[in-house]
Amino acid sequence: MKVALKVNGVQRHVDMAPLARLLDALRGPLGLTGTKEGCGEGECGSCAVFLDGVPVNACLVPIGQCDGCEVVTVEGLAAAGHLAPLQACMAEHGGAQCGICTPGMLIAAEALLRRNPDPTPVEVRTAIAGNLCRCTGYERIVQSVLHAAHELRSTEKGAAE
Amino acid sequence: MSLVDLPRYEFARPATLDETCAMLAEREAKREKTVLLAGGTDFMVQVSQGKLASDPLPLVVDIGRLDELRGVRLDGSRLRIGAAVTYLELQRDPIVREYAPLVAQMTHDIGGPTIQARGTLGGNLATASPAGDGIAAIAAYDPIIEVQSVRGRRRIPMAELQTGYKATTRAGDELIVAIELPLPAHGAAWCWRKVGTRLAQAISKVALGAVAEVSGGKVGRIGLAIASVGPTTSLLPRTRALVTATPLANLTAATVDAVVAEDVSPIDDVRSTREYRVHTAKAVVRGFLRELGAPV
Amino acid sequence: MHDANKPRDTRAPVVGENVTRLDGAAKVTGVARYVDDLPAMPGELHGATVRSPLPRGVLRAVMLDPSFDWSDVTVVTAKDVPDNVVQLIVDDQPVLAAERVNHRYEPVALVACADKAKLARAVAAVTLDIEPLPAVFDAEESLLGRTVIWGESNVQNRYLITKGAADADDGEAAFEAALRACDVVVRGEYSTHHQEQLYIETNGMVAWWDDDGVHATGSLQCPYYVHKAFKRCFHLEPEQIHITQAVTGGGFGGKEEYPSLIAMHAALLAKKSGRPVRMIYDRVEDFEATTKRHPSRCIVETGCDADGTLRALKMRVLMDAGAYVTLSPVVLSRGVLHAGGCYRWRDVRIEGVSVATNTPPNGAFRGFGAPQTTWAIERHLDAVARRLGIDAGELKRKNLLAEGDSTATSQVLHGSIGGAECVEKAFAASDYVAKRRRGPIVEGRKARGIGCSVFMHGGGFTGSGERMLKGKVAVDLLLGGRLEVRSASTDIGQGTETIFAQIAADAAGVSISAVSVAVPSTTRVPDSGPTVASRTVMVVGSIVERAAREIAERVEAVRRAGESFAAAGDRLLAQEGPQTALVQYEPPAWVNWDDKRYKGDAYPVYAWMVDVAEVEVDLDTFETRVLEFWSAADVGKAIHPLMCKGQLEGGSLQAIGWALSEEVVWKDGAIVNPRMTNYIIPTALDAPPFHTILVEAPYAHGPGGGAKGIGELPMDGGASAVAAAVEHAIGVAIDHLPLTPERLFAAWARSNSEAAQ
Repeated sequence: MKVALKVNGVQRHVDMAPLARLLDALRGPLGLTGTKEGCGEGECGSCAVFLDGVPVNACLVPIGQCDGCEVVTVEGLAAAGHLAPLQACMAEHGGAQCGICTPGMLIAAEALLRRNPDPTPVEVRTAIAGNLCRCTGYERIVQSVLHAAHELRSTEKGAAE
Repeated sequence: MSLVDLPRYEFARPATLDETCAMLAEREAKREKTVLLAGGTDFMVQVSQGKLASDPLPLVVDIGRLDELRGVRLDGSRLRIGAAVTYLELQRDPIVREYAPLVAQMTHDIGGPTIQARGTLGGNLATASPAGDGIAAIAAYDPIIEVQSVRGRRRIPMAELQTGYKATTRAGDELIVAIELPLPAHGAAWCWRKVGTRLAQAISKVALGAVAEVSGGKVGRIGLAIASVGPTTSLLPRTRALVTATPLANLTAATVDAVVAEDVSPIDDVRSTREYRVHTAKAVVRGFLRELGAPV
Repeated sequence: MHDANKPRDTRAPVVGENVTRLDGAAKVTGVARYVDDLPAMPGELHGATVRSPLPRGVLRAVMLDPSFDWSDVTVVTAKDVPDNVVQLIVDDQPVLAAERVNHRYEPVALVACADKAKLARAVAAVTLDIEPLPAVFDAEESLLGRTVIWGESNVQNRYLITKGAADADDGEAAFEAALRACDVVVRGEYSTHHQEQLYIETNGMVAWWDDDGVHATGSLQCPYYVHKAFKRCFHLEPEQIHITQAVTGGGFGGKEEYPSLIAMHAALLAKKSGRPVRMIYDRVEDFEATTKRHPSRCIVETGCDADGTLRALKMRVLMDAGAYVTLSPVVLSRGVLHAGGCYRWRDVRIEGVSVATNTPPNGAFRGFGAPQTTWAIERHLDAVARRLGIDAGELKRKNLLAEGDSTATSQVLHGSIGGAECVEKAFAASDYVAKRRRGPIVEGRKARGIGCSVFMHGGGFTGSGERMLKGKVAVDLLLGGRLEVRSASTDIGQGTETIFAQIAADAAGVSISAVSVAVPSTTRVPDSGPTVASRTVMVVGSIVERAAREIAERVEAVRRAGESFAAAGDRLLAQEGPQTALVQYEPPAWVNWDDKRYKGDAYPVYAWMVDVAEVEVDLDTFETRVLEFWSAADVGKAIHPLMCKGQLEGGSLQAIGWALSEEVVWKDGAIVNPRMTNYIIPTALDAPPFHTILVEAPYAHGPGGGAKGIGELPMDGGASAVAAAVEHAIGVAIDHLPLTPERLFAAWARSNSEAAQ
């Protein structure tokens, strides 16, 4: 089945079995290996991507349903060679150890910050509750997201002034 | 890397509900299997585990974007939820939050944010797993499940929907279109209590949806439903009968426990034990009744 | 916008600073390449494994369905394996089962095909003809030896640690007498269960052969373990084997020894097919077939004075090794060496025994035996405290080992003993003493309680292990005053790469941006020993430090006045050719360990930790929430305080998961819940906020001013702190993990009905 979709702002085309997973389309013909497979059953969140602006598990989305859709992956969170504040904070505040959960975690955190620029720690935990991490104990991930939220608010304020 | 030999499923995307029904009727007549796909959160797991590879393969029909299955609206005192509305949409819908807070609350306990973004009530009702949290929540309202086929629209009361483990009275060519909740009186008490394997991304061990109208120390209307304590969503008929027949002040822990124990039939499984589920079902029901003022 | 790798001030020391991790940018942009992100090699095949469906039996035949098209499929069985032994400690585990199968999921045949879909069908087209034999699944049953499934008696290893009265000629009797003579004698039984490491990235390898020999790249902790295994299996020379670590998505011990097996499998298929082979396990296969934490049963009996002074300790530690020995002797060893906890004992008799069962071999998992025995001793002292009517925290603090005290192996401790400070700080931060005294707080249907654990963990290999390992590190001087660190230590999330760069930068007096750390590939790096045993910073880091210092000294020796380090270095290279400092680890000279009597300096130093957990138990559902978690840990010196805390917190949450929700469910030697859906690790909502305090009691031989090993430490005490808190909250003492709501409910119901009688 031929599917046309926008990926990280670029129009792309794939031809795959309709029930092939969006995850396989991303990691295969679309050449974007940033999105990971940790469990294949929608439990770990390491395959999280934005689909039409909403975070989903790419391992549970058939490519056949993606025709005409817009996907944003970890590779699309910032321009090449730069880091978005959320990414930088995750790297600087201990939010990433082995890094395998990090791409999915960033998608979930980004989804939160787009709707809620001043989250509480519990709101952060709720937003990333579908992203399993085995390395960090989550504390530093929560701190990283709060740091990024603070930074984004300061930048906003600075820009507004 | 999943090693499952991904069979070559045929995939269809009908543009309208009528087209979908026609397709289903034609296939049903020829005894060809069809799978209706909305969010895919159950279905895709089955596919990746090789569980749906029958011979011949079912046709997969994508209904997630059918306009007729979407939307939430208030019809007098009934709340009508389109079968393909996602849990995330329900969570954010001001009508649901205002008029069916039990449903809104339940959505927070469905998987995690990424599952909520895709899962639908229609999908969960069609799968009819007794562990379906969404089903337990709406079942507390004694909803009508509306299904459509080439023969027209049929309205199935919740109590008549489930016949056994993952089995329903929905015909093979019928499609769930909407869920209609007859809303309780304004200010009715409600409760959503899920006991899962963890606080998110969890399958229920016991999940209670409850709604009650109380006046003069007595319960008028009551709706109770518990997930994961039997082959179907338990609607607790004996418990409902006891609670509506007895003034709240006269209820005792022992009498409540006794009817709950009769109303549920859980098993031991990989997640929990029969004893624990029976105990917990009793405890969460008593917890709700205590909120209503019963000394249980 | 950020430039995450902006270099720091060239002269300010970076040890002790939270520098941005070197691999951070790659990980947060999705650019870091884990093994399955590596592009397909030309002609690459996918590989898969056919596994035994039975837990024990005689393998009669491996049959290929004649109606299947095998023309583009490669099949490998035991007869294709040059030397069919997994090289580790004992030669009992085959690379592929030959005549017998001894556990469910045991690898029997390998299949490779370019077409992934066809590969799945090929696996299904292989049938194994196995004649079943009676199997044993329980360690106690195995110990009885009625059905012998391994060796002569199923017993793989035994250890005995004695001290004081137990050292006498009639040691056992003398010890018993000493124990019985104590004021208060308490006996208890404690058990722990399997735990799956559940790294979020599954095991995977890519292997190929060429004129240089055999290559394998993948998810791993110890490239030289794989290297050794290949030498044995393929009878190759060391320089013909090239093992490289890909960016690895978690290990926790689960990728210590297991990767050797999957790598050999991929290499066998690659050899027979003549093509590169990629083997990536899906979650179910990884869960079923790879190693788990050893289950344990400990029987503890202690004697103490009426005032709580501990005197005599008797313990029997039984561990379930699974079907083959793998690393069990070392797990049992570390277990018994930590069985005395961090307390003073006058008389000690600790027996350890490991037995075989027909389950997949158990293996390395963070803590490596110590979490099991720490659970036992901590829960036991909680029981002793209850009997004495004093607080457990007070009992433990009072008996804590201090400067000049001797451990259960009669090791006299000197220096770097931060236990008391950890107790003080953790108790203060959590208000433990007052909360404990107040008793449980019951509000509605919830009960809150608080509990603590106190523990220490030995850094590096036991006794003479490091001396035998002869771990080495190389540091090269490159052009432009740059240094490259070459070691076999892998970064598996804990920050090895960054920490080594910090240590090397300060030791050489250069900017951290001038230091690079080579990808661990056996072709390029010396054998520094494995990335295990809490040795990476403490042991390998110390020789990184020496090697970097040595290189700097060579440059300094030729540096002219006013000349930069870079210019002097370039001149040195031009004049004298390549400059490499190759340094071998030398354990401190005073380390004295008697391997026969299991006495003496078991580890050169211990890291210390105190956990305090506050929990809320739902009195209806018996769900336990950890509300807050405080720890104070003596790490010697925190090279990177943030990463250090990350280790302590991550390990603590693994311990909490082990205690409350993780459980491998078995049926006849098969795993019933090999998936994340039903093997429950904590989510961000289940995890408590962690309050982590770093204490520094520097270790004289530790790098960066005294760093000790801490990677495993946090795994040891979390479970018992939680159990103690639950006991405080609801008055039910649980001695057997896990504390699931079902088990808590059952225990509470039992204790209630007992109380009613």
